[in-house]
Amino acid sequence: MRSTTLRRSLRGLAMAVAGACLAGCTQQPATEQAQETHRLFYITLALATLVFVGVEGALLWAIVRYRRRRADEDEGPQWHGTNRMILLFFLIGTVIVATLYPFGEITLARVEQNPQSPEVIDITGSQWQWSAFYENEGVVVSGKSFVRPLVMEVPVDEPIHIHIVSNDVMHEFFVPAFYFMRNAMPGHPNDFTWTPNRLGTFQGQCAEYCGLGHYQMRFVVRVVTPTDFMAWVKQERKAALSINCPQTSGASVHITAHNISWDTNCIHVPAGTQIALTITNDDGGIDHNFAIWNGIDTAHQFFASGKFPGVATRTETIPTLQPGRYYFQCNVHGPAMSGVFIVGNPPSGQKGS
Amino acid sequence: MAITEARPVARPEPFGRRLLSWLTTTDHKRIGILYIINSLAFFVIAGIFALLMRTELARPGQQLLSPRAYDQVFTEHGTLMIFLFIFPMLAAFGNYLVPLQIGALDMAFPRINALSFWLLPVGGLTVLSGFLVKGGAGASGWTAFAPLSVQGGAGMDLWILGIVIVGVSSILGAINFIVTILRMRAPGMTMFRMPIFCWGVLTTSLLVALAAPVLTAAMVMLFADRHLGTVFFDASRGGSPLLYQNTFWFFGHPEVYILILTAWAIVSEILPVFSGKPLFGYRGVVLAFLMIATLSFTVWAHHMFVTGAVELPFFSATTEMISIPTGVLFFNWLATLWKGKLRFEPPMMFALGFIGLFLVGGIDGVWQAAPAMDFALHDTYWVVAHIHYVLFGGTVFGIMAGLFFWFPKITGRYLSRKLGIWQFWVQFVGFNLTFFPMHILGLRGMPRRVADYAANRGWTGLNTLETVGAYIIAISMVLFFVNVFVSLRKPREAPDDAWGTSNSLEWATSSPPPPHNFDRLPEVHSLRPVRDLRLAAQGLAGEEGSS
Repeated sequence: MRSTTLRRSLRGLAMAVAGACLAGCTQQPATEQAQETHRLFYITLALATLVFVGVEGALLWAIVRYRRRRADEDEGPQWHGTNRMILLFFLIGTVIVATLYPFGEITLARVEQNPQSPEVIDITGSQWQWSAFYENEGVVVSGKSFVRPLVMEVPVDEPIHIHIVSNDVMHEFFVPAFYFMRNAMPGHPNDFTWTPNRLGTFQGQCAEYCGLGHYQMRFVVRVVTPTDFMAWVKQERKAALSINCPQTSGASVHITAHNISWDTNCIHVPAGTQIALTITNDDGGIDHNFAIWNGIDTAHQFFASGKFPGVATRTETIPTLQPGRYYFQCNVHGPAMSGVFIVGNPPSGQKGS
Repeated sequence: MAITEARPVARPEPFGRRLLSWLTTTDHKRIGILYIINSLAFFVIAGIFALLMRTELARPGQQLLSPRAYDQVFTEHGTLMIFLFIFPMLAAFGNYLVPLQIGALDMAFPRINALSFWLLPVGGLTVLSGFLVKGGAGASGWTAFAPLSVQGGAGMDLWILGIVIVGVSSILGAINFIVTILRMRAPGMTMFRMPIFCWGVLTTSLLVALAAPVLTAAMVMLFADRHLGTVFFDASRGGSPLLYQNTFWFFGHPEVYILILTAWAIVSEILPVFSGKPLFGYRGVVLAFLMIATLSFTVWAHHMFVTGAVELPFFSATTEMISIPTGVLFFNWLATLWKGKLRFEPPMMFALGFIGLFLVGGIDGVWQAAPAMDFALHDTYWVVAHIHYVLFGGTVFGIMAGLFFWFPKITGRYLSRKLGIWQFWVQFVGFNLTFFPMHILGLRGMPRRVADYAANRGWTGLNTLETVGAYIIAISMVLFFVNVFVSLRKPREAPDDAWGTSNSLEWATSSPPPPHNFDRLPEVHSLRPVRDLRLAAQGLAGEEGSS
């Protein structure tokens, strides 16, 4: 009688826990890969509940049933486990593991698939911001340490190939709703594929502790329709081309690097003259330089200053450049520290040559 | 049945003399006590760090700690708990008990034993002294991943130095245990008549002797990268940050078993005493210990699934396989209780709590053993939940069980049963309140090691709850220290066999034992010599044979 009540209440408890968990524990997955992982989570939960209820149940049973009665000074029964029992113990565990392992491997194979994809995004992590370079669209978007997160858009229902690397310490690109994280490491790029299948805005952040600004190294992934994505690309491109700033009066420029960011994303100098460039590096112990390229595709480099660690200030000379729009970056940190370098007064959109 | 004869009470010595004798002692029991005091001191410091963290995280926004301070505090919390509390606390039991349990006079190398103890406070204070230098203490996490750990100031160097010192201490201690257990056993004490606790210490010591030097290697490379111009971990000059992780985790995973195996052994020692039964499958448990120790050297890369640079199916398989012998331990514990006559003294309650909580830590680890799932859970609060269910729900409950169990042997006085039971329940409730919600936070995507979080992520309520839990745990610890303090002022009343149903040799000598351990060593014919004595005194035959 008592045992059925116990059993019934245990079962009720298990169902209540599972029910509560279904509603609130896991997030709704937002990629095809995440759906696979989400399924694996519940398969494991089912098996785990079985083991949990079995073992805790036996423990509670022993505690209730085998407590020593008062005035009973005798020992318990002096039996030992036979070899056969011990073997059985090993077998039970083996069966459980052998049941679970294939599920994990099947899911892994699906999550790790790297289908051909037209959409390739290079993600770069640096202390403490993310930047994303869309290879085919030629668009770069970047966050700024302690100031704003990276905001990137991706089209829905398309495999997104991500190529990820770090230019300083270990970072980790993590979107909880995508059920996925992968390290961004210096010198060891990683590649993986997401296929977002749910429209929405998803929060992400660095998951590998990377120093002071780690907790703020956030980013946002917006999954949008292909049309909206095209519009966003267009807008980002236009924004990049329309960046403008007043021309400096003399032939000298001062730029400061602070928290792995330049203090400006636009420099405009007069044509037909050499420029005295002063670089202040505020980032103690971290190398920066200043380089001028044709564009974000970095096919041709026009100028590169020496690389030096902060905190320090140096002055170098930029040779005379043809009027036009150029791209500048720190070669150590890439698009995360980039901007437009304008020489003279070129018609809008004309690249330097 | 007292094996130790009554001896005249020694005249109290002057304080200075007594202090000197403690500072220069080579008696394994005194060194064991020093180990306990030192470990508990660091436990209190690291516990205060935990409270600081939990207080800061109770609500979003910065209240108590700046991010810079938070990073130092979480780093030192992990470092002290692992290297200066759990690790030496388990060695403390080993130091005090191994010679007694195998019927030896002392450890094999008493002076090395003293050295390995005194290195501990030196190493610990070296780590802590980082708080006094410019830039603060090491703040790269207890794992000190390169290249982040190549940055940072003098505090990081002190951290490295401290870890190397503690590492040397543990290697010396491990060798001492291995030699003591292999060479110093009393006549009749064959390997398979050794108490299961000694098997735990032996297995742990083998792990330490093989794994700790690898940690030292990682620290030396790290130091060289920082100061000697080497580029072991510098990818831009031909090194690799993965080298650090492979080296660190090759130590770090056996380390996890170093931190739990002795606790398993303590529980395996306590359950039979309070069940009135022998350990169900003694040889099965020994086999499980050895299998786990062996397998633990093949699973390190499961800490590196998310690097995308390790062979996933292999390390996933070895990781899941390790749960097979671990399961054998659980079955043995349950079978030991089965049809027994259970007495719920505080040591037994903590041991039972250990089983119930460590099970959760075992199960939630299985999720992460599958790489696909680990991609979603790694570096979230799920991991924090997992490690605390293993190291707090498991090891700390095991340590408490051991302290309540052997306190009468060590001091001749019982800890208060009433306070002990209170402590157990407060600790049990506080623990689950603090750490169970971390699973859910992990599933909701809260990363670990963050000094702050956004208010709009749905993480606030659970964080507040965890902070409340943390303070409840703190109350339970206050109860423990009050208990120790109060009990030490009571007169000595514990008999040789303090619990009346003990099995192993330490219960055959007085409580506390004399400096030379035994006046006369009982004969060892079986796994449970003290039970044999008890039965002989009642005119019954003890058990023959080895198990």
